Amino acid sequence: MGGAERTARKRRQQQLLAAQAKQQPSGRKPADPDQVKRIVVRVAIAVVVLAVVVGGVFWMNASKNATEGQVIQPQTAHQDIISTREGVTVLTGPPTAEVTLDVYADFLCPACKQFEDLYADRIAEHVKAGDLRVRTHMVPMLTERSDPPGYSLDSANAGLCAADEGAFVPFHDSLFAAQPGEGNRGFDKQQLIELGRALDITGETFPVCVTNGTYNDQLIAEFDKIKQDTRLHRDFGGGAGFGTPTVTSGGKVVDTADDAWLDKLLAAAQR
Amino acid sequence: MLRAPLHVKDVVGTVVRLALATIFVVSGALKLADPGQTFLAVQAYDLLPGSAVGLVATALPLLEIALGLALLAGIGTRTAAACAAVLMLAFIGGVAQAWARGLTIDCGCFGGGGPLAAKDTEYPRELAADVGFLVLAVWLLIRPRTRWSADSWLSRARPAAETGAAVDEDLLRR
Repeated sequence: MGGAERTARKRRQQQLLAAQAKQQPSGRKPADPDQVKRIVVRVAIAVVVLAVVVGGVFWMNASKNATEGQVIQPQTAHQDIISTREGVTVLTGPPTAEVTLDVYADFLCPACKQFEDLYADRIAEHVKAGDLRVRTHMVPMLTERSDPPGYSLDSANAGLCAADEGAFVPFHDSLFAAQPGEGNRGFDKQQLIELGRALDITGETFPVCVTNGTYNDQLIAEFDKIKQDTRLHRDFGGGAGFGTPTVTSGGKVVDTADDAWLDKLLAAAQR
Repeated sequence: MLRAPLHVKDVVGTVVRLALATIFVVSGALKLADPGQTFLAVQAYDLLPGSAVGLVATALPLLEIALGLALLAGIGTRTAAACAAVLMLAFIGGVAQAWARGLTIDCGCFGGGGPLAAKDTEYPRELAADVGFLVLAVWLLIRPRTRWSADSWLSRARPAAETGAAVDEDLLRR
């Protein structure tokens, strides 16, 4: 393109811009109204596309990272329940209890949260009354299902670390109450440590345990065993397999879809 | 004799364009509304490395909405239709490979998505829908002229020779 041509084009553009801004004195029209049309349309498209993309990315990130900077609210309703860690499980309730439950759950699993919302209080009442013992298995089943991945395993490990400090029950209840959505950012280790602090865990053992992932390898090994254990399998409509939450008692899977399952188990034990 | 079919084709094209636009805007908006679920849906295809899943899960809804808006306005119809066709082929490939590999997932085509129980999979219906959408896109790819479109509005203006704008000249000839 020659210099003169470039100057001519530049001049034309300036005229057009001036016309758009309606700063032109009336009566004088730009040389090519069709070109004005095209420019207006192109600019409009560019603006709309940019707005959609920038706004969309902004909104999606905000939605996915909602847990960022969030404080996990401590749930202390059942904090007086004493817990004991045994391997990578946690025991609550007395050994003398008539019924023992094994609860397999993942802190990221929505159905597990539903289970907790429905039955945690009832279970806690019986544990406090002394006729129920619960062995909680924290299953790192959904480790890949947060972005960045890892919350499922980090939270299971932190649960065991909290058990070592005698704060398992409120820690567990707090994590379910504040459960992040699958596919979103979970809580990072620092947020888990801060929850521990809010639950009066002092000293350096707990933060180190959470940061180092002290129980990670054991949790993963235990999960592999759980997946293989056919006694824990149920048919979810595509062949038998393990899913969460799973509750067993006396070596049998309990059907927790029946709202009265706990009362029935306790009544059966009374007989 | 020649005019009538052309007129009918214009009307059909307009319906096709608006239908495809609606499909994309709705599917994109549903994906955009729940980014976590969209992440799970993309992940479930088990095709991409972890780092790419998030990128695709973010880009896909935005691309769908942008295509939908372009089709709605009828601007760059042929280009948008070409993108839509490529996207549909990718979706068909994604669903087909999931089915062939025995994955049990929801396609997440209109939001939702992720792993499913085997009995709940609906691969034939999902593929049929995608093929149907592909047909719509191909119509517009072959014959992008429609009514009430920005393209036709722009092409009504005589292309000014000195600007050398070739964008809409081919539309006029068709």
